[in-house]
Amino acid sequence: MLLTSLLALALIQEPAPAQLGAAEAAQAHERFNAGETIIEHVSNNHQHPLIELPRVLGIDFSVTKHVFMLWFVAALVFLIVTFSVRRYLRQDRLVPSGFMNGLEAVVEFVRDDIAQPNVGRKWVMTWTPLILTLFFFILSANAIGLIPIFDTLAVLDRLVLHTTPDSFLNRLTHGGTTATANFNVTAALASITFVSIIIAGSKAHGFLQHWKNMVPHGLHPLIYVILIPIEVIGMFVRPFALTMRLAANMTGGHIAILAILSFVFLFTELFGRAIAGIGVGMIVSVPLAVGISALEIIVVLVQAYVFTLLSSVFIGMAIHIHH
Amino acid sequence: MDNPLVQPDPGLFIWTIVTFLVLLGLLAKFAWRPLLQALESRQERIRKSLEDAERARQELERLQQDSAKMMQQARMEAESIVTQTRVDAERLREELKQKAKDEADNILRNAQQQIQLQTRQAIQQIRREVADIAVLLASKLLERNIAKEDNARLIDDTLKQIEMTKQ
Repeated sequence: MLLTSLLALALIQEPAPAQLGAAEAAQAHERFNAGETIIEHVSNNHQHPLIELPRVLGIDFSVTKHVFMLWFVAALVFLIVTFSVRRYLRQDRLVPSGFMNGLEAVVEFVRDDIAQPNVGRKWVMTWTPLILTLFFFILSANAIGLIPIFDTLAVLDRLVLHTTPDSFLNRLTHGGTTATANFNVTAALASITFVSIIIAGSKAHGFLQHWKNMVPHGLHPLIYVILIPIEVIGMFVRPFALTMRLAANMTGGHIAILAILSFVFLFTELFGRAIAGIGVGMIVSVPLAVGISALEIIVVLVQAYVFTLLSSVFIGMAIHIHH
Repeated sequence: MDNPLVQPDPGLFIWTIVTFLVLLGLLAKFAWRPLLQALESRQERIRKSLEDAERARQELERLQQDSAKMMQQARMEAESIVTQTRVDAERLREELKQKAKDEADNILRNAQQQIQLQTRQAIQQIRREVADIAVLLASKLLERNIAKEDNARLIDDTLKQIEMTKQ
């Protein structure tokens, strides 16, 4: 945690070329803009995509930092989970050990406490893989944002490697690490939920019946005039809420940490001395950032849990109709 | 919208869906389904082995009860056998005693009858002999009753004669 904060501290002045120790020199060079720096650290790097791809139908398919992070997280989750599960299943007696112990506990938690109570015994094998994937993907994408891998790489680049600004490594260090802080990503995940709800309803009741199930039948025709628009709005509001909740929570914590850490540079500029910034950093910023980072760990878990739980609740609502 | 935080990015949106679906497909095929099935079957196995253990425990309890009952029965049987045997032995002893006594009584009675019979025969024989002697004596006396004084000598002679004949 402390390492995270300190590394972020070292890199927060990324736009300024100078190091922390030479803050006075940096002042002459370029004024520190906290807002820009923070945005730069949480948003995607459209200006410096990792792999530039041509536009298809006006859509930019370039591999940006967040696309890269999605792949990175997906690969990580796939390799770790598959490796553990395969090794576990290879034994003739199913005794989980090491990492598999935890993985199995989480899988059983997701199956028994998230999936099954909502989708029911009959559909649990159908929907648990989706819910498990959502949970592990979101959790890993959230959590990886707390680990300063790319900030470490940036420090390495700045101090040791000195690559050109156009190098792959340098492009990699631009932009936010948390893909789930980008609402495009969470909107895509919520769309998966949105489509899953329709598929779940159609599988359980048939395609037409699923749409009829959205409103209770046998009411006065006038009520439907009000009810149908409400249900249709609700159908879109649910994934929209999922999108915004996850993205905003992931962005918010990072912005808070970065804002607190930018005190270091603001105070350095204000007093014209590095010692002022370092002092504020030691006394205020780092302890606060550590605390918020600790809070972030909880947020990371809770948001992954909430997204998956709500997804399975919505899927369950399409399967079990209660009016 | 120049704020990059709210910039729509359809490319990223589509990449996310593609990435997620690929991950879902791979994980479902290689990890989740095999794992969930394994967990299910393990759960089933644990449930079954618990049931088996419970059944075995009940079986054991039943067997223990059975064996206790059997022991009890065997003990009771043994006791009754011993009692019966004792009674039988007692009866047999009684019987034997009775029989022996009866036999002894029989022998005794036979012996007495024999004795009486022989005594009677002996008496009869004595009687007959006495009669013979008396007749003989009488005839002798009749022959010599002239001389009264000779009677005593006559009787003596006769007795001598009888004795001699007897010898």
